[in-house]
Amino acid sequence: MLIPCPHCGTRPVEEFTFLGDATVIRPTSLEPSSMDDWMDYVYLRDNPRGNYAEYVQHSGGCRAWLVVTRNTGTHEVHSAVAAKAMKAKP
Amino acid sequence: MLRTSALQSVAIQGRFGADKGQPGLMLSVVHPLAIAMVIARKGKSKVLKDALATLKSVNVLWAGPDQYYVQSTVKSETALYIELKTKLANIASVTDQSHGRVTIRISGPKARAVLAKGTPIDLYTEEFPVGKSALTQMAHVGVHLTRTGNDEFTLSVFRGFSESFWEWLTSQSAEFGYQVG
Amino acid sequence: MSGFRIARGGLIDRSANLNFKFDGKSFTGHQGDTLASALIANGVHLMGRSFKYHRPRGVISAGASEPNALVELREGARREANTRATIVELYDGLTAQSQNRWPSLENDFLAINSLASSIFVAGFYYKTFMWPKSFWEKIYEPLIRKAAGLGTASKEADPDTYEKAYAHCDLLVIGSGPSGLMAARTAARSGARVILADEGSALGGSLLFENEEIDGTTGSTFAQAVISELASMPNVTLMPRTTIFGWFDGNIFGGLERVNDHVAVPPPFEPRQRYWRVHAKRAVLAAGAEERPLVFGGNDVPGVMLASAMRHYANRYGAAAGKSISVFTNNASAQRTAVDLQAHGINIAAVVDTRKNGKIINVKGGKSVKSVSLADGSHFECDAVAMSGGWSPIVNLMCHRGAKPIWNETIAAFTPPDMGSQFTAIGSASGKMLLSECLRGGIAAGTFKGKTPPTPKCRDEAFAIQPFWWVKESTGKAFIDYQNDATAKDLPLANREGYGHVELAKRYTTTGMATDQGKLGNVNAIAILAEAAGKSISEMGTTTFRPMYTPVSFGAFAGPFTGHHFQPVRKTPLHEWCVEQGAVFVETGLWMRSSWFPKAGEDWLTSASREVKATRANVGLCDVSTLGKIDIQGKDAGTFLDKIYCNTFSTLSIGKARYGLMLREDGVVFDDGTTSRLADDHYLMTTTTANAARVMSHIEFCHQALWPEMDVQYVSVTEQWAQMAIAGPKSRATLQKIVDSFTLNDETTPYLVAKDITILGGLTARLFRISFSGEHAYELAVPADHGNMVARAIMQAGQEFGIVPYGVEALSIMRIEKGHVAGGELNGTTTAGDLGLGKMMSTKKDFIGRMMATREGMVDAARQCVVGIKPVDKTMKIRSGGHLLNQNDKPSMANDQGYICSVAWSPMLNMWLGLALLSNGRARHGEVVKVFDGLRGHHYLGEICDPVHFDPKNERLHA
Ligand SMILES: [Zn+2]
Repeated sequence: MLIPCPHCGTRPVEEFTFLGDATVIRPTSLEPSSMDDWMDYVYLRDNPRGNYAEYVQHSGGCRAWLVVTRNTGTHEVHSAVAAKAMKAKP
Repeated sequence: MLRTSALQSVAIQGRFGADKGQPGLMLSVVHPLAIAMVIARKGKSKVLKDALATLKSVNVLWAGPDQYYVQSTVKSETALYIELKTKLANIASVTDQSHGRVTIRISGPKARAVLAKGTPIDLYTEEFPVGKSALTQMAHVGVHLTRTGNDEFTLSVFRGFSESFWEWLTSQSAEFGYQVG
Repeated sequence: MSGFRIARGGLIDRSANLNFKFDGKSFTGHQGDTLASALIANGVHLMGRSFKYHRPRGVISAGASEPNALVELREGARREANTRATIVELYDGLTAQSQNRWPSLENDFLAINSLASSIFVAGFYYKTFMWPKSFWEKIYEPLIRKAAGLGTASKEADPDTYEKAYAHCDLLVIGSGPSGLMAARTAARSGARVILADEGSALGGSLLFENEEIDGTTGSTFAQAVISELASMPNVTLMPRTTIFGWFDGNIFGGLERVNDHVAVPPPFEPRQRYWRVHAKRAVLAAGAEERPLVFGGNDVPGVMLASAMRHYANRYGAAAGKSISVFTNNASAQRTAVDLQAHGINIAAVVDTRKNGKIINVKGGKSVKSVSLADGSHFECDAVAMSGGWSPIVNLMCHRGAKPIWNETIAAFTPPDMGSQFTAIGSASGKMLLSECLRGGIAAGTFKGKTPPTPKCRDEAFAIQPFWWVKESTGKAFIDYQNDATAKDLPLANREGYGHVELAKRYTTTGMATDQGKLGNVNAIAILAEAAGKSISEMGTTTFRPMYTPVSFGAFAGPFTGHHFQPVRKTPLHEWCVEQGAVFVETGLWMRSSWFPKAGEDWLTSASREVKATRANVGLCDVSTLGKIDIQGKDAGTFLDKIYCNTFSTLSIGKARYGLMLREDGVVFDDGTTSRLADDHYLMTTTTANAARVMSHIEFCHQALWPEMDVQYVSVTEQWAQMAIAGPKSRATLQKIVDSFTLNDETTPYLVAKDITILGGLTARLFRISFSGEHAYELAVPADHGNMVARAIMQAGQEFGIVPYGVEALSIMRIEKGHVAGGELNGTTTAGDLGLGKMMSTKKDFIGRMMATREGMVDAARQCVVGIKPVDKTMKIRSGGHLLNQNDKPSMANDQGYICSVAWSPMLNMWLGLALLSNGRARHGEVVKVFDGLRGHHYLGEICDPVHFDPKNERLHA
């Protein structure tokens, strides 16, 4: 599998480390009532067949964290965007 | 104070490997070398780029998003660090890496063939021109790779891996015959 | 045996004689021969014994699909089992042995299996060796293992080397026959970067052996001209002896280059094989088509061969399979064999064509062909049989990513699926059976831009086939899968017994398994199975195609990364000094760490104990360079660290160090270490050796994915600094002798100070007053290139105080004496509270792990927490891993209350000590528990105590 790192160009998957679901959002509340949200954030993951956005680090290259969208059924990689660019608030 | 290269005891000068006329490549350790890692402060990417362009007697190599290795063979590591700290104050974070990385120069007609045994990067001239740097892995070691000439590259690795990496590099060079200079 | 060398012709060099040995007997062949062609030319047909029945077997094919002629090539450490004689290039001095026979190929004891063949039907193993169950491991399995298996692997270490390499191209052409050559030439002429790979030793594919006419010259002359042109072009890489064995995601192809398999011993510094990863923008499959056997009685008698193989041997190698040949076919192509062999002066005894209702029902002969019997009652004397059951495009690679091939009625074969423009099939690999179609398809595939160049003129041989699968009237055994001894009858049987799905039938009958993976037999098997199941071939479909196309040695996959080079070795900047001091090293991750520094006659414990005593009495020097060091800068560096650590760093004074604890987001402790503030916007973090890389990655994630709005930069400086711990009552006096122009005391260097200094007359250094040993201690960091020099200088300075080097064993003893937690306790299950560090968790800020650490189960009083433990009998040795039970409970895991994490012999207290995790442990200091060591099958009494075993008031630290 090849992943098009936005910083380094296309590189083979061995240079990357997968973390998992990039759609989960870390809760901001520290109130006990938000515990369910935290549980979901830490533990609850979908396992879709089809497109899936994951946090992937280019650990064997520029070390940037990316959000890579790929099809789990076909292994086709649709996009790889720097997590920083994607998450940065305007 | 005189620095001791991490490869002092293994990078012995001479001719090694297969004897098929001219050596296929030359290997040498670039030492001493002053290296500083420079990383742009938030929102300062462009300002940093411009500032780096004004520096004298240094090489500026891309080393990741908004990150650069600034290298000098003529300045001491302390002098380089202080100069950058001063000139790039509030523009970039500067970290001395002169001792943390070991830089090896590889050149000659078989240089690319040897590197192809390690890196998945296409080193074809049009894809990877002179002056370009990349971060990759070779023999399970992270490598900062720079093309310095048509058949000339520098490889920089963490100091602790340098001996192991040198063993791999020379073993892969042996079939072409190599000269350590 | 009646094979012989034809007087002239072929692509062998008859002036170069090569001597070789097969089963100890000496033969001579020529340069350009394969082992198989040389054996045929020497009249040897019997090359192996079959797997199950141990039937005599000869060579069937002339290439990679060979199921029978498997040999053990070379001897001793270089012996390689299951090597196909059909692709082994002959070299002078080659030795090969037949396999799967005992005591000899001619007289195989286990051929008795053939007489008992009625019990060896499909599913035999499953049916017979089921019962009694207890027999399986001790009797059946060893018996089957001995009888089965093909060649024997050498048990010696392989003396040769293997390599890995990457290649990149615009167009990868797989196969160098007419279509491949045209694709490569067309693309290369337009300037594209082309790689042309072929498994053969010579490029040219079928043009090397088929009588063709292209552009007014012979096929092989035409091929030679194209290859010469390609060889002269800088944008072309020719890769003969290279099998492209797999197609992977991203249009990456795996290739195996047999660099030096064609010589006895690789030349100095050269590898035997090279494993290629080819990144191709586009690729074409020009691998050709595989001829199929026909399924009829005695179709495995040595001398029965594929028709194309027979003319291949005759035309390319000048090796005739016999003097009188019968041809059996269901299509037009076998006619070429009759014509070519006749031209070589060989008699054609009969041409039996199923399209004219001709059928061979049996081949007579044991170890070689004597005659054939036809369904119409006629017999023909002959010494070899050429058979053709049609042609199967070699679709394998195009199906490696899960797609299935498509049945084509017209050519009675499976053709490749459409995989888009990145990888296309051309020529006979795509089911195009005419030469002109192959040339034209190749040119089209090689055209990157502009007009398609004209196609060379050629002569086409007609191709027509009427599917025919199985001569049911056969009187002898009719084999489908030669290597696995699966016969035609096995498939209807599998269907009857409920294993009619193609994947089940494969497992039930073993058809399509082992080294050849059914390259010759699978289509016949599918057709016969389909008929038995009352389905069409298309409905039945194929089994799954997976890499590797042909077997690839483990050596090639391992490449140079074996033995000492299995993983890189990481050495500290003080390695040389450690060696000088006589260190014994231990691998910690990739690092080589100095473990202890024995004097003559000392074992590890004596050495480590002496190191501890000397350090606690005077002063010791330890290499702590492996600790992770991360430089963290930026306007928000302090705020960022507040997120990463559970305690607060934004309030830390400049020039001070603080112990920090970080959690995972699930609330479990992740790592710990000392972090210093060097400037307002500049921190230096230290991590444990084990977690250094993980912490770096975690920091990168937290910033980039969680809080990208923060102005923070980070870079590992682990390798920049040589770091030394100088510990003991005389550490200050020792250091005083090397620091420049200031006095070390509690004012200039109080506990937890972190400052930039110079030493030895101007050398930059960083000094920290921190302690892991519990002693008055410092850590000194100097730029790595100066590490050894500085360590020597400290040793010299400390000589008058009795300084010793100490290693990680002594370090570990001292931290257990002091109750400091480390890897054994930071084990991925413990909370800050478990470690006695619960108060460190700030309640004033958000940090990674904060919320999850408050969960009920994470703060339960009954949780196991860190305690000290010592044996009640103070002369006893305790070991880590022992479980803690109430004193009067039965020794059983059912009564488990915790376990011992770390132990050490304490030279200060003269007994074994440990740290343990014990349920509600902090309330149980003084309690006597049962320590149950189930692994060693014993138990003893232990006393729970405070984890700080030694110097409980920390008086030494501040001394
Ligand atoms: Zn990258």
